[in-house]
Parts: sequence; structure tokens; C-alpha cells
Amino acid sequence: MNISIPVIAGLVILGLLGIGLYALLAVRNLIKIIIALQIMVKGVLVAFILAGRLQGDMVTAQSMALVVIVADTIVAVVGLALAVQIRRHTGKLDTTALTTLRR
Amino acid sequence: MATTLLLLTIAIPWVGGLIVWLVGNKHTGLQHRIAVAFALLAGGAGVALIPYSSSQIVVNLPLGSVFGNFTFVADGLGVFLTVVATVIGSLAVIFSVDYMQGEDQLGRYYAMVLFFIGAMSGLVLTSNMLLVFFFWEITALCSYALISFHNDDPKAVAGGIKALIITQIGGVGLLAGALLLYAVTGSMDFNAFIANPALMPAKWLGIMAFGFLIAAAAKSAQFPFQTWLPDAMEAPTPISALIHAATMVNAGVYLMARFYPAFKDVPGWTTAVLLVGMITALMAAVMALVSNDLKRVLAYSTVSQLGYMFYAIGAGGIYASQFHLFSHSIFKALLFLGAGAVIHSVGTRDMRQMGGLGKQMPLVRAVFIIGGLALAGIPILNGFWSKEMVLEAGLANAPVWTYIVMLIGAGITALYTFRCVWMVFYGEPHSDQHVHDAGPAMKVALIPLAFATLTSWLLAGSFGKLLGPETLPAHGIEISSLGEVIHEVLSLPTLIALIVIALGLAAWWWRGRLTGLSNALKGVGQAAADSFGFEAINRGIVKGTQSAAEALRATQTGLLNWNIFGIIAGLIIVLAVVIFGG
Amino acid sequence: MNANTAFTLVIGLPLLGTPIIYLLGRLWARQNGSSSAANPARWLAVLILVATGVFTYFAGVGATADYTGISHDFGGLTLTMDGLGLFLAVTVLALGILVTLFSAQYMQGEVGEEKFYALLTAMIGAIIGLGCATDLFNLWLWFEVMAVTSYFLVAFYRDQKASLEAGWKYLVQSATGSTLVMLGIALAFAATGSLRFDELRLAAASADPLLLAAGALFIIGFGVKTALVPLHTWLPDAHSQAPSGISAMLSGIVIEAGLVAMLRSLGILYATSQVWGYLLLGFGALNLLVGNLMALRQTQVKRLLAYSSLSHVGYMLIGFGMAFTFAMPNGAIGGFFHLFNHALMKGLAFLAAGALLYALYIAKGHHGPLVLDDLNGASKRYPLTAFCFSLAVLALGGLPPLAGFMSKWQIFVSGFETGNTVAILLVIFAALNSVLSLGYYAPIVNRLYRGQPSQTVQEGAKISPWMAAPMVILALAIVLLGVWPSLLTNLTSRAALGLFMLMGG
Repeated sequence: MNISIPVIAGLVILGLLGIGLYALLAVRNLIKIIIALQIMVKGVLVAFILAGRLQGDMVTAQSMALVVIVADTIVAVVGLALAVQIRRHTGKLDTTALTTLRR
Repeated sequence: MATTLLLLTIAIPWVGGLIVWLVGNKHTGLQHRIAVAFALLAGGAGVALIPYSSSQIVVNLPLGSVFGNFTFVADGLGVFLTVVATVIGSLAVIFSVDYMQGEDQLGRYYAMVLFFIGAMSGLVLTSNMLLVFFFWEITALCSYALISFHNDDPKAVAGGIKALIITQIGGVGLLAGALLLYAVTGSMDFNAFIANPALMPAKWLGIMAFGFLIAAAAKSAQFPFQTWLPDAMEAPTPISALIHAATMVNAGVYLMARFYPAFKDVPGWTTAVLLVGMITALMAAVMALVSNDLKRVLAYSTVSQLGYMFYAIGAGGIYASQFHLFSHSIFKALLFLGAGAVIHSVGTRDMRQMGGLGKQMPLVRAVFIIGGLALAGIPILNGFWSKEMVLEAGLANAPVWTYIVMLIGAGITALYTFRCVWMVFYGEPHSDQHVHDAGPAMKVALIPLAFATLTSWLLAGSFGKLLGPETLPAHGIEISSLGEVIHEVLSLPTLIALIVIALGLAAWWWRGRLTGLSNALKGVGQAAADSFGFEAINRGIVKGTQSAAEALRATQTGLLNWNIFGIIAGLIIVLAVVIFGG
Repeated sequence: MNANTAFTLVIGLPLLGTPIIYLLGRLWARQNGSSSAANPARWLAVLILVATGVFTYFAGVGATADYTGISHDFGGLTLTMDGLGLFLAVTVLALGILVTLFSAQYMQGEVGEEKFYALLTAMIGAIIGLGCATDLFNLWLWFEVMAVTSYFLVAFYRDQKASLEAGWKYLVQSATGSTLVMLGIALAFAATGSLRFDELRLAAASADPLLLAAGALFIIGFGVKTALVPLHTWLPDAHSQAPSGISAMLSGIVIEAGLVAMLRSLGILYATSQVWGYLLLGFGALNLLVGNLMALRQTQVKRLLAYSSLSHVGYMLIGFGMAFTFAMPNGAIGGFFHLFNHALMKGLAFLAAGALLYALYIAKGHHGPLVLDDLNGASKRYPLTAFCFSLAVLALGGLPPLAGFMSKWQIFVSGFETGNTVAILLVIFAALNSVLSLGYYAPIVNRLYRGQPSQTVQEGAKISPWMAAPMVILALAIVLLGVWPSLLTNLTSRAALGLFMLMGG
């Protein structure tokens, strides 16, 4: 089997996304959930770069990747800020403590 | 002129309703007066519309594609039902002045009553299918609001919501038919379609015809949708009169009569209408016989009489059905308002706690008996002529056994009517409360109705002309004089019918000697009191839906990981659909 | 006025106004104490939004002059206001201005009031931009701006645990969806080498697996925001915990903005597969049923309204599904009509519920949920609010003469026009669901009009005219559209045209 860069990159993308989604399903800690989101976004960044390489348009791909990094960082910051507030109110960083809104 | 009058009949009640509501509940006297004034004005406009009836479109507001042209036609059928809605409606409003004296939230009450009357006029006068559905749903909305007028009473709320939901479920049939009409013919105007039903392919026509039948049956509380009507008796009594005599339940009969020329060749349709009418007429009559609630007796008798109208339509007797509708609206309004006067003074609806009221309320007794005789079909009151017309139509065009069933129904009608009159006005007084006579506004409403019950049949000829070929070209109603009606009614079958009715009367007279028979029928009576099991079906459906809803709530766990699982599951399903289904 | 200048201002004003609103409000709050009663930030926000509305009118005149709309180059980034963009801008501004007015009293004296107005204005600006984007990446970027501003707004009550919980769930789920959208964009870019709508559409003619995967990712990614079942779980929490004005915005326009983004991205991929339309129809049916059943036994008013949003998204999805599957113009027109009406109806319902929540709880300083029992007899003390609330829920239930009836009608017509049995059965299913929804709307009206007010109602505070005015305007609009449905046809049919042009039709 011919192991080329696109195949490796593709596997990396799927791997990162898989880890991220699995973590979102299994992890209860708020900080870890933010990290899981970050892992998924990193996979997407690789996907952008791979797409740019396949299409021979690295300039667009890289500029998009940069914007995604910025946007994603903002989301992470907001998420962590929320986590801090939640910690202040519940004393815990656990999603299972956040199930008052149900049914 | 016709344009102005037509718009006025719809607009006057609506504007009046808005004004009454805006006046506010602090000025009750003013509210009563405004409501009566606008109701009477609407009645006047409705009556003034009679000479202008024709099959021409008199109002046309083009709105564009899916909404079609908002068209209104003042043809005979429409004008007739408008007059019934506005005139009987205004009498119910006058009656309310006494009945609702001292009640809270009068603004809402009168606004909804007037809105109701206007919507009913709109329903029968428009020729745009969307507007038919539009007004149809407004009448459902108003009936719901009025039935559950006493919102603090859970039974009233349940009754209102039940009426709303059942008529809406039936309304889906009307919706489907209306949508089909537009989708196939590309026009919302139904007159062209009635003139030429071949516009619709047979397959769609069948769906449309039965969809309309479902809608009409639900609206007119026909089998198997009759269960909402007895619960609707929680409404204030003038509302019952309005719903049962002037507006709501007539809508179903109107729909069937209006579209009869288009649907009569659909295989099985006329038979279905005939059977729905027959089953309802008999079943409701039996239920009326065993009920002890005065208003429920009248409600079941309404259902039963509407069954006669459906039966007549199924047998092709459009004139007979509409003539019966005409008579029925008058005498049933009279009966309901009379019952309202009784209930208002006694304070209960249970007939077992009444009795001997005739002495205290002589006028109410007199008019109630007139109404009862008309309901039973005793000559020469209006109910006699129209019911005989219905039976003649059945004998001429329907299987003989259905005619016999309807005759039995007529006998039971006489029986329960006399039972009801007896229990209320004669016999031993059971209540030691002080009973006061009907108020002046009540009498003002009752006397014209009693007079009309005695005489309205004299209008049979002009009524026939109103529905004649000039205004309803597709219906082929050829009766143009009173003589024709009298000639048709005075025949051998009428004698048989009268004998059956007399037997019904006799059965009440000799009720003591017929104990064996009544014991034998006890099981039937028990089943009838339970609405022949349909109530249980309703409850089952409601309960099933509610427990499904309750069970589904468990899926909202509130746990984030579970929520993420939803996203991933969704992604997997969509990917699978794209891969395997694309 | 020059349409291009107006268009520039429509895009620019809300975004440039955001920091100004914040700074002004912050300075005022610092000088007069943070709970100062008359923070001018709210009036500046109203002013900016009204000005944007005026410019939208001029831009709209230009945009409707021909079928392609007007385009403007913002330093290498082209934005086009076509029929769809104009429609979305009109809807969001109409609701946004009324919500801002409503919030004047509702948010008065809250800590960080100026942030509320700044973020609300930014969110509205982002939604306008979302409608005018001409390439996929740009579409996502506006979408993300909208999302981030809405995270703050949902979790606005930072000292309330429930509000934080709702914000947290909303953020994580929304970010997950957003990541999936990004992946879809990367796949589309990998397959075609372009992200511009027009170029992508030409390139996306065949069933390339990459593009199919991208489409699936768009449905799920944007679907989280649109609250497709089973991605909807964030919605009842966020809608019920956000300040009521924001609940109205979320339900009335934010989830619909997600829907518009989904339609834009699927419209480009229209030629690749038949399956998109079927998926929209399937999700529509699922949303209808689940939304209605979940609402049926609900006891908290705002949660009930939130679940009913699910079912209303279902109606829109059915309309757009008819447009995608059977190329029915009425499906798309009806879908957009319902989108607009839903913004009015649900906006009014949330504002009225919010007014009661404010009067019965917030004005007294506590943040309990408004439950159904609190509504008993509310008409005695709050006749106008109770009337508006009844009107809104009856309109949502599809009763005439109110707006919801007419837009549902138009969607249903499109189903019957297909002549397809399955489509017709789906419409009948939707109509029966409408009846089912009355099972929870009607009791609300009955409660409101009880004769005996509940204890909470008797002790309630006053509702000021500033809160009542937006409700009255919305109520009048709902009645007007109910009796004169063709009033909006011009706008909705152009929006549908914009969608069909994207699909290449």
C-alpha cells in the first residue's frame, strides 16, 4: 500500500476528530470537554491544509486556518470563563452536577 | 348595494365585538346595549340581503397565488344561513342581557359571540375555499372560547378544548379537500367546480368528498364524532342556543348541502351521508331518552335532528334538509332559551330536581311546549312540515329500511320530548328554592321565536324560491310555492309517521304499564348513557398521547454527554442515509 | 439614496456601533453606578438599529431592482444582498428593534446592561451579514460571530447557576456543530477548490463522495443551531434561561438563521443528490412530533414555548423539503413566510411570557421559572399582556384570523401541489400535529382568563408601557398578516427566488 502524505493526513484528521468526539461523549470534566473541542478543531485545521494542498491553493487554505484558529480561541476562552463561573457556583467542574435543567 | 350589505353582515358583528371588548368590563350596562344593538343591526343587514340574492360574485379581493381571490357570493343558501345566524344570534344576545346579568368578563363574552356570528356569515357567504376553511376554524375558535367561558370550572375548560380538538381533527378533512381543489384546479373558487365536478379526477374527487364528510360530521357532532357535544353543555345556555341553533352545527349541514351537486356521483358518498345521518339520528335519540340533564337532552336532540338533515342530504333532498334546518333553528333556539330561563331560575340542570315549574313560569311553559311539539313533529307546527319532507325524501330515494329506522327515531323523539316537558313543568315540585319568572329581555327573545315556530312553515314557498335555480343553478331545487309542499306532505306516509309519533307519546303516557319493556331496554339505556363506548375511545386516545408525551420527556436528561450523543447519532444517521439512500 | 452606500451602512452600522454602545454604556455606568436607571446604551442601540432599518429600506429598493440583488466589495470580501439576504435582514431588524425596546425595562439595572445591548446589536449585525455572505467560509464566519455573541447573551445572568448551565450546554453543543461545519467546508474546498457559491455550484454537479459528506456535515452542523431532533437538546435550556428578550431572538431568528445557513449550503449542493430534500422532510416530520409531544406535558411556560419552536422549525423544514425534493416554489415561499410569522408569533409569546416573568418574579428580585399555575387569572391584572399572550399561542396553533394559519396553509398547498401521495400524507400528518399543539396552547388561554387570579398574580408588579408597546405592535402585525397574507408575498417570493437561484433553477 502506497502511504502518501494525503493518506497520513486523512488518518490524522479522522483520528483527531474521533478522539475529540469520544472525549465529548465520555469525559465529565468541564476543562477536558473544552480540550476535546480543541482537539476536534485541530483535526479540522489539518483538513483545511490538506484541502489546500490537494487543490494547490495553500494561500486560501492557510488564511482560512488562521481565521479558524482565532475564532476557535475565542470560543475556548468563553467556554473557560463559563467553566470558572460554574466552578464558583457549584464548587465542581463536573457535567453531572449540571443536570438541573431537564425534562 | 348587495356588496355593501354583504360586507356589513360580516363587518357589523366583528366591529361590534371589538367595541364591546374595548369598552371594558367596568361599563356592563353599556356592554349589554352595544352588543344588542350590533347584533340587531347585523340581523337587519342579513334580512335586507334576501332580495339581493343571486349567484353572482359581489365582492372580489384578489390576493394572489395560494390565497386566491377572496370572493363572496350572496346566493340563496348563503343568504338563508346568514339570516339564521344573525337573527337567531341576535335573539340569543338579547336573551343574554338577563341571563348574563352580573357575570364577570362580559366584554370577552359578547366579543366572542359577535365574532362567532360574523364568522358564520362569512363562512356561508364566501366562495373561496381558503376562506371557507378560514371561517370554519374561526367558528371552532369561538365555540371553544365560549364553551369554556367559565374558565375556573375544569369541566367547562375540558369541554371547550374537547370541542376544539375534535372539530379540528375533522377540519383536517376539509383542509385536505380545500388543498386538493387548489392543487388540481389551480383556483380557490368552488362555484366553478360545483358547476363542473369533472374538473377533478375521480380519485381526488373521492378523497375530497369523504374529507368534507369527515369535517362536516365532526362539526355537526355526527357519528362517530358526537362525543364533544354533550360536554359542550357546560357553556352558558345562550351559547348553547347559539351553537346548536344558529351557527356552529349548521356549518356541517351547510357544507354537505353546498357540495352535494359535486359529490353526488362519487361512489358510496350519498350512502355514507345517509348512514351517518341515520345512525346519528337513532343513537342520539336513545341517548336523549336516558339523560337526566335538561341541556343534554336538548343537545342530543340537536344531534338527532341534524342526523335527519344529513339523512335528507344523503337521500338527495337538499330542500328538505335545509327546510328542516330552518325550522329546527327556530324551535331549538326556543327550546334552549326556554331551558336557559328554567336553569337560570332553578339553578340546576338536573331534571330530577325540577318538576311542577309550570305554575311559577307560565310563559316559559307555554313556549317550551310549543317548541317541544314542533320538535316532536306534531302538526301544524313548523317541525311537522320539515320533518315530513325529510321522511318523504328518504322514502323516495333511500332504501325502505332506513326510512323505517328514521320513523322509529321520530317515535323516540316524541317520547323523549314529552318526558322532558313532563319532568320539568309537571309532576311534583322537587325544589323548595324560590323560583323566579323569566326576565323581560328573556321574554323579548322567547316570544318571537314561539311565534315563528307556529308560522315559519308558511314561508316554505318563498324559501323554495330563495334556493331556486336562479341563485343555486347546480342544486336543481324546483319548489316554488307553499301548495307544493303541502301537497307533498299530505299523503299516506305522513299518516304512518303521525301514528308512530302518537305511539311515542302513548309510550310516555303508559310508561307505568310498560315496565317489562323498559327493563328489557335497560342495557341499551346503560350503553347510551356511556355514549355507546365512543367516550371510552376518546379517553383512550387522550391518555395514550399523554403517556407517550410523558415517556418521551425522559429523553431530555440534561446531561451534556447524552446531548452530544444525540449529535453523533444524528450525524451517523444522516451519513448512512446519504451513503445508502443517495 | 444610493443603494450601494445604504448596503455598506447596513452591514457596517451594527458592527461599528457595537463598541460605541459598549463604551458609552460603560462610561455612564462608571460615573453613575452600575445599576443606574437610565443607561443611554439602550437608546443608542435602538437608534443604531432603526437607522440600519432605514438603510435596509434603501438597500432593499436597490436589491429588488433586479434578480441578482446588489453586491459590494468590502476589501476583497464580496457581500451580496439578494432576496434571501434582504428577507433575513428585514426579519431580524423587525424583531430586534422591538426586543431592544422591550428590554429597556426588563434589563434595567442589571449588572452589565451595556454589554447586553452591545452584544444584541452585534448579533443582529452578524445575522444580517450571514444572509449576505457569498462564500461558504464567510457564511460560517458570520454564523460563528452570531453564535459567540449568543453564548454571552444566554449566560447573561452570571450569578444564576441555571443560566450558566444552559449557557455551557449551548456553547459545547454549538461549538461541536460549528466544528462539523468547518470540516464540511474543508471537504467542499478539497473537492472543488473554491468556496464561492457561484463557482461551487458549477463545480458540484456530480455525486462526489466528498461533497456528499460535506452536505451531511452541513445538515448536522447547522442543524445543531436549527435544533433538528435529536440535536435539539440545548434549546429548551437556553431558551428558558436566557433573558426573555433573548429567548425571543433565539427562538424567533437565531435558530432560523441556522436554517438559512443550512439552506444556502445545501442549495449549492442541490445537484449532487436527491437526498437533501428527503432529509429535510424527514427531520421536519420528526421535529413536529417530538416538539409537540415534549411540550404537551410541560409545566414551565418558557420551556413549553421552547419545545414548540421545535415543531415550528418542523413546518419550515417541510416547506423547504418540498422545495428541494419536488422543486415547489410555494414550499420555499411558504417556508419563508412561516419563518417571518414565527418570528412575530414566538417573539410575541416570549415577550408576553417575559413580561409576566418580569412582573411576577424579576421585579421582586428572584429568578424562579414562570410555571403554568402562575398564569391563572393573569388577565385580571394584566389584561393587555394576557390578550397578547393568548393571541400569540393561538396564532402558533394555526387558528385564523392570525398569521400562523396563512403560512401553514401555504406550506400545505405546496405539499398537495406535488400530487405525490407521500407528500400529501406528510401534510396531513403536519395538520394533525397542528391540532395536537392546540392541546397545550389552548389550556394556556384558559388559565389566563380564569376569574380567580393566582397568589403570584395578585402580588405582581406593574408592566410599563415600554414593555407593552412592542407586544401591541407584534399583535397587530400578526392579525394584519392573518387577514392580508399577500402583504409579504413580494419579500418572501424574492427570498425563495434567491434560494432557487442558488440551487441553479
